[in-house]
Amino acid sequence: MTMSRAMPASLVLAILALLVLSPMAGLLHLSALPGYEAVDPRFWENAYLRRVVFFSLWQALLSTLLSVLPAILVARAFAMQPQLPLRRLLLGLFALPLVVPAVVVVMAVVSVYGSNGWLPLGRSLYGINGILLAHVFFNLPLAVRLLLPQWQAIPQHHWQLGEQLGMNTWQRFRFIEWPMLRESVPGVSLLIFMLCLTSFAVVLTLGGGPRSTTVEVAIYQSLRFDFDPAQAVVLALLQLGLCMLVAMLTLKLQRMPAVEIALSIAYRHRALRLRWFDLGIILLATLYVGMPLTSLLIDALRGPLGQTLGDLRLWQALANTLFIGLSAALLSVTAGWFLLQYSASLAEQGHSRRARLVDLAGSIVYVVPPLVIGTGMFVLLAPHVDVFDWVYPIVIAINALMGLPFVIRCLGPAMRQNHARYHRLCQALALRGWHRFRHLEWPLLRRPLGLAIALVAVLAMGDLGVIALFGSTQSATLALMIYQQLGAYLVAQASVTAVLLLLLCLGVFALLERCIGGSRDAKN
Amino acid sequence: MKSVLSCTGTLLVSLLFCFGLQAATPNLVVYTYDSFTSDWGPGPKVKAAFEAQCLCTLELVGLSDGVAMLNRIKLEGDNSRADILLGLDTNLTAEARSSGLFARHDLSLPVSALPDPWQDDLFLPYDFGYFAFVYNKEKLANPPTSLRQLVENSNGPTLLIQDPRTSTPGLGLLLWMKKVFGEGSDRAWAQLSPRIVTVSKGWSEAYGLFLKGEADMVLSYTTSPAYHLIAEQDSRFAAAHFAEGHYQQIEVAGMVRTSQQKQLARAFLEFMISEDFQKIIPTTNWMYPAITGADVVPAEFSQLIDPSPALLLDETIVARQRKGWVDDWLEVMSR
Amino acid sequence: MLKIEALEFSYPSVPASTMHFDLTVDVGEVLSLIGPSGSGKSTLLSLIAGFLPASGGRILVDDEPLHNLPVAERPVSIVFQQHNLFPHLDLYTNVALGIEPSLRLAPIQVEAVRGALARLGLEPMQRRKPGELSGGQRQRVALARALVRQRKILLLDEAFAALGPALRAELIELVKTLVAEHDMCALLVSHQPSDASIASARSAFICEGRVAAIAATAQLLAQSEPPQLRDYLGSG
Repeated sequence: MTMSRAMPASLVLAILALLVLSPMAGLLHLSALPGYEAVDPRFWENAYLRRVVFFSLWQALLSTLLSVLPAILVARAFAMQPQLPLRRLLLGLFALPLVVPAVVVVMAVVSVYGSNGWLPLGRSLYGINGILLAHVFFNLPLAVRLLLPQWQAIPQHHWQLGEQLGMNTWQRFRFIEWPMLRESVPGVSLLIFMLCLTSFAVVLTLGGGPRSTTVEVAIYQSLRFDFDPAQAVVLALLQLGLCMLVAMLTLKLQRMPAVEIALSIAYRHRALRLRWFDLGIILLATLYVGMPLTSLLIDALRGPLGQTLGDLRLWQALANTLFIGLSAALLSVTAGWFLLQYSASLAEQGHSRRARLVDLAGSIVYVVPPLVIGTGMFVLLAPHVDVFDWVYPIVIAINALMGLPFVIRCLGPAMRQNHARYHRLCQALALRGWHRFRHLEWPLLRRPLGLAIALVAVLAMGDLGVIALFGSTQSATLALMIYQQLGAYLVAQASVTAVLLLLLCLGVFALLERCIGGSRDAKN
Repeated sequence: MKSVLSCTGTLLVSLLFCFGLQAATPNLVVYTYDSFTSDWGPGPKVKAAFEAQCLCTLELVGLSDGVAMLNRIKLEGDNSRADILLGLDTNLTAEARSSGLFARHDLSLPVSALPDPWQDDLFLPYDFGYFAFVYNKEKLANPPTSLRQLVENSNGPTLLIQDPRTSTPGLGLLLWMKKVFGEGSDRAWAQLSPRIVTVSKGWSEAYGLFLKGEADMVLSYTTSPAYHLIAEQDSRFAAAHFAEGHYQQIEVAGMVRTSQQKQLARAFLEFMISEDFQKIIPTTNWMYPAITGADVVPAEFSQLIDPSPALLLDETIVARQRKGWVDDWLEVMSR
Repeated sequence: MLKIEALEFSYPSVPASTMHFDLTVDVGEVLSLIGPSGSGKSTLLSLIAGFLPASGGRILVDDEPLHNLPVAERPVSIVFQQHNLFPHLDLYTNVALGIEPSLRLAPIQVEAVRGALARLGLEPMQRRKPGELSGGQRQRVALARALVRQRKILLLDEAFAALGPALRAELIELVKTLVAEHDMCALLVSHQPSDASIASARSAFICEGRVAAIAATAQLLAQSEPPQLRDYLGSG
């Protein structure tokens, strides 16, 4: 059984390594050719670079803390209010910020907090404030979505005992909720840390100037501006290394919850004393996430709706976007599934350290910039094939790769618990392969599976880095179209396109989550 | 299963069909930046106009910018499918020249609109423009009249600029400052820096922020107000005229050495400097056309400021110094 | 003394099936509740504990009505079949939570925790986590916690169902002793009529949301009325 699980997983790991390492090797090989600079071994002595590294870490750390800590409060409020009207809609809204292209987020944040905005911050917006506002806008809702399912894993009896023992809110959190969160919070924090570490346009534009430069910008600079592939690879490895350090730290903090077999965990927590507090928290979070989105909507409604929507090419771009998003999601979830099966079986056999390393390997590839992977792939592929025929496969593969950490976060905890509970039963019943999936995993895991597919799909739909990199003769994706419109003074059209992208993502998200996650998913 | 088979079948047939079509007429491949190929750029009109006269297919490949094109063709080397690169600017021509990947065009500009005579046997200009600070006349009554005044007045207008590492206007301003202040440009940047609201990744972000009223002036082109005049009938925007002159950007195209269709490629370059192509440029790329002609430039362009004298640093100096200058700039701006 | 008078409840999803209970448990008594699954045994315990709101009737402990008290203030301790302990806390802490969830214990309270652990033979393992214990030991910890809480009413919701017969008998004897020592009233829900024989002088047969019969245990297990009891015992 373990062998058969290790097989596809090692295949996935090998493909991951191939996708990430071979482009870097390709770039390094290139830099050895005449006409390119070799790696400068003293690059670390560069004061500028040290400052960049420090700033990257600092802003990522702050952004992570400010996203995850409030997200715990918000997710908790949602968990305590299962009957809240519009709950499903609000949670759908919380999936959106992640897909808004960075340039649009910058505009939306400025609409709200800029000098002519609703809550003007003036020039103090530009600097760490602006970066944090935008990053929290991206990541707080994501953290809420990823943490919320954890409350469902709490056994009903624990709530009842907590009530009987007279625990107050803090004590309930400490003894009942936090232990369940401890598996997820470090992982979610790491994911958000990676997202913020590799942030580019937001940091550069809202950061106020080159004081706010991340390693990602430095990589871009060395690969594009200086065309120094060796330097780019070294910086990418540096970024990978930094992330690895942080990942090790989070692994130390992570505790897998002791799994007891729970027969009934569908307890509607009925302590309503905190209702107003919960509602207040939800309202604040909704305002925070909703305001920039609303400003986009207002801009779009003022824009040339008919003219923009009447353009056939817009709908072509929409079809492209859908195609890329869904293919990437499917690929990403399939790869993630095998990887997680393997790590779950490792965990079940007591190799929890190795299990976590497998998860980590799947997640951490995120911090290798798509620009590096893409350029490296190009170096490797260009002499052998016509790259234009490969644009879609490559774009889909890279987007799937970038989606992997999200799959691992959404699906990992549930799959591990499922494995711990039922793996022996499955062995006893000789339930394996397709039948195991159909009878056990699909019904029990479809909810997190739906969330994972939906998240990766919308992420890939909002991506534009990769497709712009390879260039294409075909029509664009919506995200690319937004950039092109903004680059052609068409700010109003761009806001219409942005809202169309948002609505498309909302629709796809809801549809995937409902079709795959099942209708019971309505509650979470 | 049946539907999968039939889908695959349809796909195969349509692929064959496509290949069949492509084989019928010669295919000219032009690498350019994607705002050129976008639906609002010159691309679609250029394609239609050229295909009407060449009996060929013009394939415009959109890459993110000039740097990306040059890197791309360097990586592809002799295997490149590109016949033409369109969209390099004079800051990149030295590097492009030394790559040895370009062929002589053997053409000359018929009636050059450029301020200086054009002499280059590898690259031909198709448009040009001048960098300038654009402002809203209703909000800023007394714009600075020189770059020096902008720098030295510590109560002057607030600015949005772009990063020279990631954006062409950003690099343009860096060179402009160098040209005007020479060795003193670091000090000038230090003086300017407190009034820079933010330095954005690209032109779009900065211009978008400017339209939202985040600063008094934005680094853009002298031709930007023409867009508002022509497309929006909005005359509030203007470019500030600076006494030292304005730094120039010249966009050029070149023929790839390994092209199998030099005849056709040369025909395209010839078309590029003809009125048919040139009259598309002003209202799609929002730049000055490279040639003068009766109806090449729209009337509204006469309302724009006169940017002379045109400032330009020699391409070899730029190529040699660019990296060091950007590092100096980073140092000053990070303080 | 625990007195349940005309206590009513119906699940919102099945409004037609109103439950209706009348019952008395004396001080020092362990009353067993037997009956088929879904008959309402656990629901009755949840009503007493306050996890579910009763729609009518009264629960009296020493003639004081309970039903308006919040869960934490009811003189009730409950032991479930599983999930009684917090898996990440050691035994000592799990028991100490019974006295004070803030875990700020006065010396005398620390003594009480130690005493309870000792009384149940758990003292040497007080720093272990529940995961390292056997099923029987875990239920002992839950009983120790009930003990330190010093509440009048002890509810055992299939508390020993997962254990073997000998261990079950041993723990039931322990419960009987503890209930007698501390003047508690206990309700024991069990699937096993044999548990009732060991635990209780009196037992009640719960069926379709009602106390269908209540009698001395031996007599109840022998009688043939109502017919559902015969079906349940399978002794037709």
